[in-house]
Amino acid sequence: MATSTHPAPARESHRKAGPTSGSGVNFGRVLKSEWIKVTTVPSTVILIASTVLVMIGIAALLAWQTTILFDAQSDPDMASQMQGAPDAAEISRDIPGSGLVIGQLLMASLAVVLIASEWATGMIRSTMVAVPRRTPALLAKQLIMALVSFVVGAGAAFLGYLIAQPILGSSDLGFGLGDEGVLLHIINTGSVLALVSIFAMSIGTLVRNTAGGVVTSIGVLLVLPIVVAIFGGGTEWVVDAARFLPSSGGEQMVATTIQEGALNQWQGALVLGGWALVLLVISLIVTKKRDV
Amino acid sequence: MIEAQALSKRYGAKTAVDAVSFTVQPGKVTGFLGPNGAGKSTTMRMIVGLDNPTGGRVTVNGSPYAQHRAPLREVGALLDAKAVHTKRSAYNHLRAMAATHGIPNSRVREVIELTGLGPVAKKRVGGFSLGMGQRLGIAAALLGDPHTVILDEPVNGLDPEGVQWVRHLAKGLAAEGRTVFLSSHLMSEMALTADHLIVIGRGRIIADAPIQTIIDGQGKVRVRVRADRPQDLLGSLAGEGVSSQVLEPELFEITGVEPRRIAEIALREGVLVYELTPLQVSLEDAYMELTQTEVEYHSHALPASGEAPAPAEGR
Repeated sequence: MATSTHPAPARESHRKAGPTSGSGVNFGRVLKSEWIKVTTVPSTVILIASTVLVMIGIAALLAWQTTILFDAQSDPDMASQMQGAPDAAEISRDIPGSGLVIGQLLMASLAVVLIASEWATGMIRSTMVAVPRRTPALLAKQLIMALVSFVVGAGAAFLGYLIAQPILGSSDLGFGLGDEGVLLHIINTGSVLALVSIFAMSIGTLVRNTAGGVVTSIGVLLVLPIVVAIFGGGTEWVVDAARFLPSSGGEQMVATTIQEGALNQWQGALVLGGWALVLLVISLIVTKKRDV
Repeated sequence: MIEAQALSKRYGAKTAVDAVSFTVQPGKVTGFLGPNGAGKSTTMRMIVGLDNPTGGRVTVNGSPYAQHRAPLREVGALLDAKAVHTKRSAYNHLRAMAATHGIPNSRVREVIELTGLGPVAKKRVGGFSLGMGQRLGIAAALLGDPHTVILDEPVNGLDPEGVQWVRHLAKGLAAEGRTVFLSSHLMSEMALTADHLIVIGRGRIIADAPIQTIIDGQGKVRVRVRADRPQDLLGSLAGEGVSSQVLEPELFEITGVEPRRIAEIALREGVLVYELTPLQVSLEDAYMELTQTEVEYHSHALPASGEAPAPAEGR
């Protein structure tokens, strides 16, 4: 370059070539960046694909098992021995989203891994240098993961529904998308996964450690309700409070029949969504202040 | 242009950076020199907003880093070569960084070519050598074609060809009128690359001057003198712009004047001189001298067997 001996003019021309309108950071661009990050780590893509497959597989298995239960209940001899077993026709509606527990386990882990691995590898410093305001970067990552989770959950539930129909149909247990609660169940299977991923990623952001984040979020989502059921089952206030655990909120969101006195789907969404929102806000505030 | 004003960083009781103020000017390479643990990296991390200062402030091109609309176009920083997800390829890493600023993929390919990463760009970063990681960090720093480039220990792990390349790169960027701020703990490296030097030790600025001034000032002839009437001799030398340090009643060091000149004055004043030893100071020595009271980790000779090391007692 001929200008290199004249620093000042070179700088001027550089100025002009530099920031022009539209060259800065905006949320759409940060979203695109986070999308590239999610799709360019092979293990992430593999995990997402396997979650869908596992959820569909569980729906198919449960459909097959339900037909066996139904056949048994239709047989008068067997039915007399099966007092107290759930009604096959009733539980068949829960089949599309029946892989939700394992889906939560996988997507919550992935949500934690996506953020905590940035700390583990040091990538977070590149992220925060590119987006020094930090909040847009975290929100974009949360949004991408929530959308992926929703598509995984709702998509797997819909495919689970499609696969279950011919199996259930053989025992006359088939049902349609228009039947009461079915469509909401399928959509909310996605919504639960989306909220769970926000919940888990916020925890991952706070603890900045993959193992710690996975253990904490899985512990709260899947282990805590079991512990509460075992040790607090007899105590009234514990049972009452347990309805407001994040996992209980998720359960109610996908319920096809609401028990007397239980929260309905929307109230369940408020419970799980409330937990996710509170943790999200805390994680944003803490990250904004923290050194990375 | 980078401007730090009374910039401080404390971690609990430990002060990593202690109210430093300095300006890094565009159009030249400014070296940031100091021993390990002196606060170089912490200072650089505060410049790009990764660490929040506990006191003071630092601005880049007029405003704090985080307030720029397009930070990567203002400042490119290599802070550590490992700020990359190990399972992602170099190309995808740069693509994700570029996307935040709408920087086109053509620029990503440009910096890959510029840094010589072409053959490994599609490979996972986890398998990179330290040198390749360093090149990737430099590629990321150059993505936004920034006015200010900050490189923390850029030659670490590079082969001789790479070291030379970084030197040319830094000088070339400065010649284009950009601000180049480059840290190292090696004086010899700085002597070859930097135009201006900021020396830091234990979180404090020890020297901030053009490199030639530092070399001249510190590399000046120093002469050890034993004489019977030091005051008379020093008094006569005072007009020559020298500095002196009295070590013993009749032993002192004079900096800034040739031994012959001292002998001439001594002869004229009738002072008895019974030692006149020129002390050669290399650049490396000058640096050691500048920082010896400011290093955090001293190495000591091993104590002789049976002898306990002297306990570090409070003064």
